[in-house]
Amino acid sequence: MIQATAFSRLCRARDTLRDVDSSLSIDQVAREAEVSPFYFIRQFQALFGETPHQYRIRARLELAKDLLESSDCSVTAVCMEVGFSSLGSFSDLFARRIGVSPSVYRRQFRSRVALPGFVPAMEIGCLSLMAGAFAILEKQVAPLSGRLGA
Amino acid sequence: MKIKLTSIMVDDQDKALKFYTEVLGFVKKMEIPVGQYRWLTVVSAEGPSDVELSLEPNANPAGKAFQDAMFKQGIPIAAFEADNLDEEFKRLKELGVVFTQPPTQAGPVAIAICADTCGNLIQLYQPPQG
Repeated sequence: MIQATAFSRLCRARDTLRDVDSSLSIDQVAREAEVSPFYFIRQFQALFGETPHQYRIRARLELAKDLLESSDCSVTAVCMEVGFSSLGSFSDLFARRIGVSPSVYRRQFRSRVALPGFVPAMEIGCLSLMAGAFAILEKQVAPLSGRLGA
Repeated sequence: MKIKLTSIMVDDQDKALKFYTEVLGFVKKMEIPVGQYRWLTVVSAEGPSDVELSLEPNANPAGKAFQDAMFKQGIPIAAFEADNLDEEFKRLKELGVVFTQPPTQAGPVAIAICADTCGNLIQLYQPPQG
């Protein structure tokens, strides 16, 4: 059981970790939450499924993706905007987690949204994903059923 | 018309699949890659033909804001039925699940609230017996 006060503190800590302008270390965020760093990490992970550090990195990469999709900022500017100081480590981490480098991610995203009639990936977060999934499935199955029908 | 599908927004689909299958005990039904996400659904092992639950990425800022606000207010976003809530509570606690409310009798129904580790609170309930 988690008490209401501890729950609120952990929610506030999560907001701080998501804030790219915050330069607080994990230990400092734990102090703000009025718990020891050890207990903070354990509680945070139990509630949010990842450590504070993992959460902060994921939040920054998600913001980087948003900026690459919707702004014309250079990759270097995006890197700085989301709180990384080294372009090399940002690009490496981005490529490791997202699968492609930031510049390739932007190119791929823009080529997708430029296709007429294609619903941009930005809109995902509703059941519209289902339509895309079944369209893909149909394409994979169609050649086979075409052959069977012939 | 039937109600066969519903959805829950999750902040990470990998994390969600792990929690909903390995911890809650549901079973994966669909997993189809769509761009950088997946059409990902689970069903209950006890009722595989019951309602299918889609674990949707909360990539839409509007969805994120809604999910975040509900979580902070302590409001559950979905409810799952348990035959024996006390047993489920004990089992899930041993697996490290965080509860914001232990099993509590609310008239004929018992309810408990826990975090799904993906940005949501889930209500577990035991319906009236008999």
